[in-house]
Amino acid sequence: MTKKKILVVDDEVGLTRMLKRNLEATGRYDVRTENAGAVAVAAAREFQPDLILLDVMMPGISGDEVAAQLKEDKKLNHIPIVFLSAIVKKEETEPTGGNIGGLTFLAKPVKLDDLITCIENRLGK
Amino acid sequence: MASDINPPKNEEPHPKPAATGEEKNWVSRWREPTGSRAVLLSLLIIVLIAAIGTLVYETGGTGFAWVHLMYLPIILAAAGFGIYGGIAAALMAGLVLGPYMPMDVVKGLAQTMSNWMFRIGFFLLVGAFSGLISKFLNGQIDRLKETHENLLRTHEELKSAQMKLIQTAKLESIGRLAAGVAHEVKNPLAVVQLGVDYLTGALKDEAKPDCNETVQEMGDAVRRADSVIKGLLDFSRSEQLSLLPQDLNAVIEESLLLVRHELTQHQIALEKQLAGQIPQVRLDRNKIKQVFINVFMNAIQAMGDRGNLSVKTFVQRSAAADAAGQNPPGERVVLEVADTGTGIPEDKLDKLFDPFFTTKPIGSGTGLGLSVSRNIIELHQATITIANRKGIRGAIVTIAFPVSERD
Repeated sequence: MTKKKILVVDDEVGLTRMLKRNLEATGRYDVRTENAGAVAVAAAREFQPDLILLDVMMPGISGDEVAAQLKEDKKLNHIPIVFLSAIVKKEETEPTGGNIGGLTFLAKPVKLDDLITCIENRLGK
Repeated sequence: MASDINPPKNEEPHPKPAATGEEKNWVSRWREPTGSRAVLLSLLIIVLIAAIGTLVYETGGTGFAWVHLMYLPIILAAAGFGIYGGIAAALMAGLVLGPYMPMDVVKGLAQTMSNWMFRIGFFLLVGAFSGLISKFLNGQIDRLKETHENLLRTHEELKSAQMKLIQTAKLESIGRLAAGVAHEVKNPLAVVQLGVDYLTGALKDEAKPDCNETVQEMGDAVRRADSVIKGLLDFSRSEQLSLLPQDLNAVIEESLLLVRHELTQHQIALEKQLAGQIPQVRLDRNKIKQVFINVFMNAIQAMGDRGNLSVKTFVQRSAAADAAGQNPPGERVVLEVADTGTGIPEDKLDKLFDPFFTTKPIGSGTGLGLSVSRNIIELHQATITIANRKGIRGAIVTIAFPVSERD
């Protein structure tokens, strides 16, 4: 089975490392991590991920700016984005399966099971 | 109730002005005296008139300077009893001096009836004029007193408003701080959560119960910390409302549905008395559900196992609302939630809505539930009070919503 490629962008180094370790441990994903919004688009062009896990609040270029740049790029705008946010609450994301205003959000701290369910849902679409 | 509760406040709309010390002022005591003071002052005036009359007689008659002392009791009478008092004293003084006329004649003094009449007239003039001045001054004193009381009342109101502003500013600061803390703490918490998930997977096939238990406890700790953060976020964001006319009973039913499992688990009987046909109230349905669930859960936790949860709604008409001192007054839809739990220690009643205050055991409550609830309630222009039940164990929460204006 081909592993799905996931790009994780979050300024919290520990979190990206932990996401990579957890996701790769499932055997289903190949994960690349970046810790700054400024390099996210370049990394996406190079890595060509199947899905991007993107932090919202990052120093420098924030997650929503990264998302806007990705949407403007014809080669990248098809890639589904899952926002990881410390601002939203589980109670807000769970009832809609993470969909808020057409975007997919997961509330930090996210449980691995919930994360994988969300990723699979987005990849299945 | 196990947690945050607000005692009903019976604040006077206008606080009484503080004692001014005026009551101790002798001028005030003797101004327009009544009862024994009036008798004493009258006697003093009579004695003075008699004494001065005697002095005049003894020193040679009304032609001498001592006669001018008679103005003193006249002015005193005018000051104490007003114009009529001054006139009465003037007449009395004139009459007292009358019998000295023959003696004046004997002594060769030019005391005649016309002079006597003139003197009485002069006394009357002084009495009446002093009475007028006294009346004017009394009026000024009354106005000053009223102004002073108004100033004191305004000062109290300003102080109260200032305290409210400080409290609001404090809450806003706490809200901003809470949002910042929530964001900063959630990231490391996410690392720990994923670490726990990773270790859970790694230890799945290992026969190491201690390790599994440790990881599970770490997971529980993350969940607890996350619930504190959730409370902080609720607290910082409770000001955003989406208000729509709603049926309060329906919102209560939905909220009760969400705590049904807890009620069953703790064998708590639910007594519902929801008034039919209640007017609609403007609510943010989700936020109010959050408040109701918080109130129900507090009640359930206060009762432990077995108890009665009473949920009652009714309409409070304007007269009753006014009489209860509620602000703003008017027709209100009221929810009362009563439990048979432990109640609230009297010394904790005024702290129940303070952020981070909790009566629950350490680790069981964040101390933010009722702070958030009160914020939400106040944003609805509603009120929430919590008190111990009278004559029965337990606490009662009363939430009163203003009724939406009808078309």
